This record gives sequence, structure tokens and C-alpha cells, in this order.
Amino acid sequence: MSGAAIEVRDLGYRVGRGAFEIRDLSLTVPTGAIYGFLGPNGSGKTTTIRLILGLAKQASGRIVVLGHEQPSEGPRVMARTGYVPERPHLYPSLTVGEQMDFHASFHARWDAARAAELVSQFGLIRGQRIGSLSKGETGKLMMLLALAQTPDLLVLDEPTDGLDPVVRRDVLMAVLEYVSQREATVFISSHLVHELERVCDWVGVMDRGRLVAELPMHTFKSGIKRLRVSEPPALLGDTPFVLLARETGDGSAESWLVRGWQPPMRQYFDGVGANLREVIDLDLEEGFVELLRSARQPRA
Amino acid sequence: MFRSILYTQWKWARVALLVIAVAAVAVPVGSVRAIGGVVISTSVGDALNTMRVWSVLYVLLAALAGLILAISAWAADQRGHHVYALSLPVPRWHYVLLRFAAGLALLLVPALLVWLGALIASAIVVLPAGLATYPGALALRWLLAAFVAYALFFAISSGTARTAGLVLGVIAGIVAADLMLALMDQPAVVIEFVVSKFFEWPGVFEVFTGRWMLIDV
Repeated sequence: MSGAAIEVRDLGYRVGRGAFEIRDLSLTVPTGAIYGFLGPNGSGKTTTIRLILGLAKQASGRIVVLGHEQPSEGPRVMARTGYVPERPHLYPSLTVGEQMDFHASFHARWDAARAAELVSQFGLIRGQRIGSLSKGETGKLMMLLALAQTPDLLVLDEPTDGLDPVVRRDVLMAVLEYVSQREATVFISSHLVHELERVCDWVGVMDRGRLVAELPMHTFKSGIKRLRVSEPPALLGDTPFVLLARETGDGSAESWLVRGWQPPMRQYFDGVGANLREVIDLDLEEGFVELLRSARQPRA
Repeated sequence: MFRSILYTQWKWARVALLVIAVAAVAVPVGSVRAIGGVVISTSVGDALNTMRVWSVLYVLLAALAGLILAISAWAADQRGHHVYALSLPVPRWHYVLLRFAAGLALLLVPALLVWLGALIASAIVVLPAGLATYPGALALRWLLAAFVAYALFFAISSGTARTAGLVLGVIAGIVAADLMLALMDQPAVVIEFVVSKFFEWPGVFEVFTGRWMLIDV
């Protein structure tokens, strides 16, 4: 396997003898990338993250994180990985300060000065019990713990889910600030597409236990278009783009959803006797929704 | 690392530990007061019988201390489905060992207080000829019994709800088997057999039986 921060090949996972929750999943997270892991609720994002971190054992396939095989080298990976899980997992009876001290005692690279800075930046109080923190404060504390251990890899599972916009911005800003200073790799899962659009340079889309797309964010954003086509041919032949969906519109016009679109591809329509009337840019969320729809009902 | 683990377990168990600590001193002193205080006011036979009755409290206290420290070692991790513990950069066996050792260290506190209470009780009582106090042996026995209880409950509570259910299921099965035998007019020997295997030498719970006497011949 290459020197990617995370490399997953042919991953399969199931609980007991049940059906596979994850099937033939392969993904690559380049070192230094901010990789957005998109997918609807229940698509298998959290399970994949748990497998990547060695918190669960795969039924098949291979996972290498920061050069270490998983799950056998889990502790080595966790020593270099900051993890913010989907649900709060800290000890509610401890205070913020006690939880920080506890966490620091397990992490040799703990940066006490940075931790103190983040306490002040996030407006946390060291003496406050974790059980009495609001959802936003708990999210900030989890992010603080992950960042102050100076990881090479940050794995964030829906880190801003349920947080208000101000807290969400604070948390994401802290991540971006850290990445700019340390050149760390970030693997961030979310179903909030717009949130990832602003920060990620790679995106992987998960649906029903399968990775349905993995590409650079700019390709994802610019390559998915909706085309208005009049007088479309019955038989398409070889298209220079990937036709994800084909819907009939008014009269003889059709709406095509395509991936991999580039302007010179207009010539294709002249060749088949069709008329390309309009090329519509889709934002990331529309692209994401259409991608999922096409993955579930391939080719119109 | 160990200090952090010890601190968390101390924090989670400290109220219960305080109650156990008070009881650890109170039981030996109370047992001496029950036979008349400074000068024994009952016959030697009655005094030994009273000591035997009070000895049950040591057994209960040891089991309770083991149970509370074992539960408190895992309760917080279980609430978070062990996600935090699993995400720490230590092998699982290492983490379990740290939690176990921390609970064991905390168990020394009530054991020392049992010893202290027994020493105080021994110092204040004037015994007739033929009787003697055994504070050291009593405290050591208490520590051993508490350790056995702690180890058992630690193992159960470190597992999943399924593990606990399995243990309860086995116990229920034993009771059910005895009831079935009783209904068929057969001698109900299953519980007796299990008890003899576990509570008689070399059974692991043998330490809970026998003489827990501060004052004995």
C-alpha cells in the first residue's frame, strides 16, 4: 500500500453472521488532505470510522492507517490520531480540567499550552463538571482533547451535528487553524454537505455500506451538471460523460444529470442530432443528492 | 497513567468508600461493645457466639466493598459504550490491568481500617484467660475475601450486559434444576454440590466461610 494517511482495500464488515453492513469498500485518504466523508444517516460512515480506528474488527479486507495495520496496531494509531466521535463519550462526573489531565496522561505529545489556549478560545471553565456542559460545550471539549494531543490525523465523526452555527464555526475554525499549522490529515464525516463544501479538498460518498464516489472536491463540484436537451436520441451510443440520470421534461425536451462534464463535450450533441439548450451548475448538495439517487437506480 | 486511573476511580467510589471505611472501624469496635465493652460481661461461650454473629458483618462488608469498587471501575466506561477507553493509545489488556490495579489499591484503604478498628477493639478489651484477639489475621482475611469479591465482580462488570445475563442465567439454571428435582421428589442436590465446590476448600470462595473471629480461643 502507498504512503496515504488512510488506505482501505476491499473492506467488509458484518455483525455476527448477519448481512454485510459494509461491502467491498476501498478508499484512499492522501496525507495532508481534508477528506469529507459524506453519506446519509445509516449509510455506514460511523461503522467505517470505527473500523479505520481499530475499534471494531473487519470481516474482510485490509486497513492501513498512518502506516500501521488495523486493528492489530490500534494503540499506535490512536497515539497519533485525534478522534471526535459522533456521541459524547467522556466521563460526566469529571470536571473539564480533570478530563484534560486524564487525557494528557495517556498522550505523550499532549500540548498543555495549546490546551490552555483552546480552553480560553472555546470559553470553557476548567472546574465545570462535564455532565453539566451544554451540547456545544461538550463538542468543543471533545475537539479540544483531540487537537491538544497534536495528532497527525484527525478523525471527526459528525463533529458539528446538532451544534448551533456559532459553535459549529468555532469548531471548524479550530480544526482549520490546526491543519494550517501542522499539515495534519483530516477525515471528517458529515451529512451536512454545505459544511464540508467549504473545508474539504477530497470527498468520498457512502451509501448503503458502499462507497459510491471518491474524487477531489473541485471535480465533484464542477463535474456534475444538469443538461437540458431537446430532440434527444433514443439510442445514446458512447457518451463522453457519465450519464447518471435521464428524465423526460416538457414536450420533446429531457433533463440529463451527468458527471465528468467539460465544455468541449457539446460536440457530442451535434453528432447525435440533439440540441443542448442549457448547462446548469449544481451545488454540492444537489450533486450529492443526485449522486445518491443515481447510485440507487443506476442509468435511466 | 496509573495515577489518573486511580484518581478517577477514587472520585467515582469515594462516597461509598467513606461509608465502608466507617463501617470497617465500627464493626470490630461494635463487636467488642456487644460483649460488654472494656470488661467482658458475658460468659466465654456467649462472648464467642456473639463474635460469630458479628463475623457475618465482616463477610458482607468485604463482599460489598468488592462489589462497589468493581462496579465503579467500569460504570463510566459502560455509559459511554467503552468508546473513550478504546480510543486511548494503550492495548486493551493494559487498560483493564490499570483499572483492576487501581481498584485493588483502593481496597487497601478499608482493609487497613478493618485492621485499625480491630487493633482499637483489641486494645480496649480486657480478655479472660484462654481468649485472645487476632486483629492481623482478621484484617488479612478481610482483604483476601474483598479481593476475591472484587475480582469476581470486576470480571462480570467488565463484560457486556450479555455476560452479566449469562452469569445470572447459570445461577437461575442451578436454582431451577434444584426445584425440578424437588418437584420430582428427588433430593435437591445441585445447589449443595455447587456450594460445596465453591465454598469448601479448595473452592475459590472458601475464604468467605470459616471463622471470622476477632476474639477467639
